[in-house]
Amino acid sequence: MRKLDKRDEQAISTALATATCALLGTSIPAAVQADEGEGWDFNTSVLYYGEDENRVQDLSISAIGLRTFVDDRILSLGITLDSLTGATPSGAIRQDVVQTFTRPSGSSPYDVAAGTLPLDDTFKDTRVALTANWQQPFGETSQFNVGGSLSKEYDYLHLGVNAKLARDFNKRNTTVSAGLAFAHDELDPVGGAPTGFSPMLDVGDISNRTGKQDKQIIDLVVGVSQVVSRNIVMQANYSYSYADGYLTDPYKILSVVDPVSGDTIARTALPGIDGPSHVYLFEHRPDERTKHSFYVQTKYFMEGKVLDASYRYMTDDWDIDSHTVDLRYRWPVGASSYLEPHLRFYTQTEAEFYTVSLADGATLPTHASADFRLGNFDAITAGLKYGWKTRNDNDMSVRLEWYAQSGSVPAAQLIGNQASRDNYPDLNAVIVQFGYRF
Amino acid sequence: MGSPCEVLCEGLDKAQSRPLLEIATREAWRIEDKFSRYLGDNVTARINEADGKPVSVDAETAQLLDFANTLYELSDGLFDITSGILRKAWRFDGSDKVPQQSEIDVLLENVGWNKVEWANSKIHMPAGMEIDLGGIGKEYAVDRAAELLRNLDATPCLINFGGDLAVTAAPKLRESWRVGIESPSGAAERQIDLQSGAIATSGDTRRFLLRDGVRYGHVLNPQTGWPVEEAPRSVTVAADTCTQAGIISILAVLRGDGAESFLQQQDEQSWIVR
Repeated sequence: MRKLDKRDEQAISTALATATCALLGTSIPAAVQADEGEGWDFNTSVLYYGEDENRVQDLSISAIGLRTFVDDRILSLGITLDSLTGATPSGAIRQDVVQTFTRPSGSSPYDVAAGTLPLDDTFKDTRVALTANWQQPFGETSQFNVGGSLSKEYDYLHLGVNAKLARDFNKRNTTVSAGLAFAHDELDPVGGAPTGFSPMLDVGDISNRTGKQDKQIIDLVVGVSQVVSRNIVMQANYSYSYADGYLTDPYKILSVVDPVSGDTIARTALPGIDGPSHVYLFEHRPDERTKHSFYVQTKYFMEGKVLDASYRYMTDDWDIDSHTVDLRYRWPVGASSYLEPHLRFYTQTEAEFYTVSLADGATLPTHASADFRLGNFDAITAGLKYGWKTRNDNDMSVRLEWYAQSGSVPAAQLIGNQASRDNYPDLNAVIVQFGYRF
Repeated sequence: MGSPCEVLCEGLDKAQSRPLLEIATREAWRIEDKFSRYLGDNVTARINEADGKPVSVDAETAQLLDFANTLYELSDGLFDITSGILRKAWRFDGSDKVPQQSEIDVLLENVGWNKVEWANSKIHMPAGMEIDLGGIGKEYAVDRAAELLRNLDATPCLINFGGDLAVTAAPKLRESWRVGIESPSGAAERQIDLQSGAIATSGDTRRFLLRDGVRYGHVLNPQTGWPVEEAPRSVTVAADTCTQAGIISILAVLRGDGAESFLQQQDEQSWIVR
């Protein structure tokens, strides 16, 4: 037997490789490439959302960390920071004269030029959102998922918990799932939450304000996903959502108008005090909302290309019905990049209590809101995403999208001069997102 | 192979994967039938029952014995295919039955590859000695099955025979095969992303004796006849082939408290659990 010195005796890699080649009678197929899973995968993105005409701008930074353990147990932790600025339509209608409003804080007035859509320009906020989720197998064919979420902005606090159970059947070709989520949200509006239908008051008068408000939301979802063939996966969901509590937007108002001319009723503040130039009432929504959604999705794989098409129908007891069609097509470009065009169509009917204004002298309805988001509108999103693999095998992507929303106020709601004005504030926005996964 | 075996083929349905699974299964059974010392009527039995007479072997057996011979030299006698008979004294059933030194001494007389004449495809072993190719067979079967599947088509497959595994190619739908490595305690479990190559694990995680607070692991030192002292609980190695990974991991375990320094000398990536 050969005598080897200590070091040679220890380093056997080369000699062993030669001996193994002789044993297997082949050259070594491919050098080993193994990495210990570092455990954490990160998905990060920077998103800019900007509405035209100086309306809402949002810069959002988010990071999600995924820790995969053996046996497919996954911990995910996420953080999102949003910086929001800009102005949103207050709900008041345009006038041919200058309009003066009291700010939500009640501490100062602001003017809106004649013929201009009244915007509340005090919208400025920073939001921090945290999520945590734990997923683990439950027996051979089931998966259990629990999570929590928390978000905080200046006037809003959200706390949520959720759980989901999914079970595979039919040799894992069918998955049935059921989920439950509960959220408790607290609102602490600037200046206090106004009483529904109370008038906008002079600067310094906060007699119509209440303190904090809250709402509770329960969501239930049941779904089934089915591998239809080698190329097709389908999914169908039904979800139920019940919200209970303060569902009114504390910053939205309605113009009180002359029942003949349709112009907003003028008023005068007390002498020496600033206040609203016209009569406006704070909106008032029901304190319950029940939604039902039906969702179907199909993914079709064609030699590297993926078509992802989905449709959602939502109906609620506020009388809003909506339809959403979403189409994405993932198109490989070369070996390590892809293009993904995206189209989304959305349409909804207005809420039963949506109204562009309130007629002076008429009996107040039970609920009313002029929030354009509760109106009758259509929206289109068109976008393109380009994704590629970096040299160190991470994923990068850039997404550019345009969003256009246009709506209308039912002709029957228009009074007098309103018919000749633009009453529904259309919206155009651009979305730019940069994503990096490592 | 005495353990659960699986073959994963990416992107194929049941009918499409059947021919690949059959090839891998047939190769595993062929190697087991031919070399297992637990089955009679094979080449191992012919060698072990030759009673001091020389035995001529076929080319494949000769390659395995050549390989075993090289390992014996490379390991300074720590890896020895004649050490299997020591199991007659050691039963690793979790009990406290530690054998007497006299029992071990008797068996040690029949252990030692250096007592065997091996040349020109002919093995001449003193009567009473036995060989056991179990320390190579499983990893060899993994590599053979991988080679057969690789020659058949380009489908990425993972061949896993009782935790010793190799892949034929990187998967197409994701970056790599994700392999979970069980830890002895279940605590320091880890995952390894494998794009090509193989992984094997050795250790004494499940089979041992316990006496007077001393744990006797099931890996025996062929020179002393006693369990390797201070053997790591588990050594996992990633290498180009499953055979290399398996050999380096078992040699590391055989080094006992020298496992870490041994692994540091090798080119292969390794993970050790004490």
